[in-house]
Amino acid sequence: MSIRARRTRASICRACFSIVILVSLACTGVLAVYAQHKVSKRYPAGKKVRIQLKNISGTITVESWNREEIKLYAVLESPAANLSPLATGDGLLIDVMGDNRGRGEVGDITFRLHVPVNATVDLETRQGDISVTNIRGDLVRAHVSSEGDITLTGITAEKVIARNTMGNIFFDGEFSRNGEYQFASGKGDITLRIPADSAFKVVASSQAKRIAMGQFWNDGFRNLGNGRKYEGYVRNGHALVTVTNFQGSITFMRR
Amino acid sequence: MNCEKCQEWISDLLDGTLFTHDELALNSHLEECLECQEVRADLQAIVSFCETQRGEYLAQPNERALWLRIRNMIEAEEPVVAVATASSPKLSWREWVSRSWELSLPQLVASAAAIVLVVSLSTAVGMRRWQSVDPAVLQSNVRTNLQDAAASVLERTRQQQQMIDYWNQRVELNRVRWSPQMRETFDRNLKVIDQAVNDSLGELRKNPHDEISEEMLNAALNEKLAILREFADL
Repeated sequence: MSIRARRTRASICRACFSIVILVSLACTGVLAVYAQHKVSKRYPAGKKVRIQLKNISGTITVESWNREEIKLYAVLESPAANLSPLATGDGLLIDVMGDNRGRGEVGDITFRLHVPVNATVDLETRQGDISVTNIRGDLVRAHVSSEGDITLTGITAEKVIARNTMGNIFFDGEFSRNGEYQFASGKGDITLRIPADSAFKVVASSQAKRIAMGQFWNDGFRNLGNGRKYEGYVRNGHALVTVTNFQGSITFMRR
Repeated sequence: MNCEKCQEWISDLLDGTLFTHDELALNSHLEECLECQEVRADLQAIVSFCETQRGEYLAQPNERALWLRIRNMIEAEEPVVAVATASSPKLSWREWVSRSWELSLPQLVASAAAIVLVVSLSTAVGMRRWQSVDPAVLQSNVRTNLQDAAASVLERTRQQQQMIDYWNQRVELNRVRWSPQMRETFDRNLKVIDQAVNDSLGELRKNPHDEISEEMLNAALNEKLAILREFADL
């Protein structure tokens, strides 16, 4: 066999091999898509509703919209968890933890919810990021019991609670006059971005001594424990802001 | 029998206060229902834990000092009572209170001078005593106080630790069922909290009166308890 014929044969083999690989990859992708299960539902709601979601693992995104209804969109990974949203009189309850108790491990669920702007939002998950945008309800609570970032943007609520063990917490919003705001992380940076004219009382504790009050600093602040805790008033405000961090930083920024 | 009824009766079953026919019905349901079996196991574990911890109560803070104070007060009152009973026939309390206390100017000046003299003398004596205290004794007293404060923090920590141990046992029972990723996540997160606990304890060893470290320790232990509870359910 000539050298040219050998080369031609080798290139044909290479081409066939590449095609087989590509087809296999495409099939795997298709199977992966089929392993997902998607749910999309809409629920009628008044202007003031309560959304309560207890997820096990997966990302949760909540956004406001200008409609008096709740839209739920969820992507369930395999093995798919039981998902039974319950429309209560004043909102929606989704208890993935309760619905799957005793089932062993189930796949992640990615939630995307559209809710009225004045909704009360109470979210918790064992693992995964939580993002809440443009909400003006009474309460916004985001609790990740292990790992996950929490991002709260455009929030105006009387009470805000954000807690995680590992992951960053970012709050961008306004403090109400008599509101209560709690932010706590084990290992992650906590950043609060608020208007320059905000008025509040702050109690910030960081074991790592990384507290930056930025432009909100004033001489009335008490420095306790060599920079591990700061207490003080900004513009004699009545809102109470408590920030606790074990290993990360605490930063206040002007909006 | 349904699960609701069964779970209502489980507590009575563990107490042994059920009628025989109810107990039989309950047991037959428990044989078939895994969920109710788990409820029974949980309740049994809680009851056993409470029984084993029974009788462990917190000691009164500074119990010895309290008893010393009480004894001193009793001893101090005894001679006063004796003197009062001996002098009672001469002037009764009511008569003594109701007598006229108007003083002339010389009497007033003399009284003021006497008070100033007594206060000055007692201050001088007190200062001399304070300065003459052996520094070694002073240091030992300070050390004792620090040790007492540390003991109090440790006692509180020990109580929280008991709860943590209980939930830790539950986690250890269940973690064999978890996936390797879940175990890694749990261990990673627990490590973060344990580090916070250890940092606070380290600070408290250096300065037992450090309130911020106490707050941090308390927060970290509560956080640990919460994460253990959360994962124990898995």
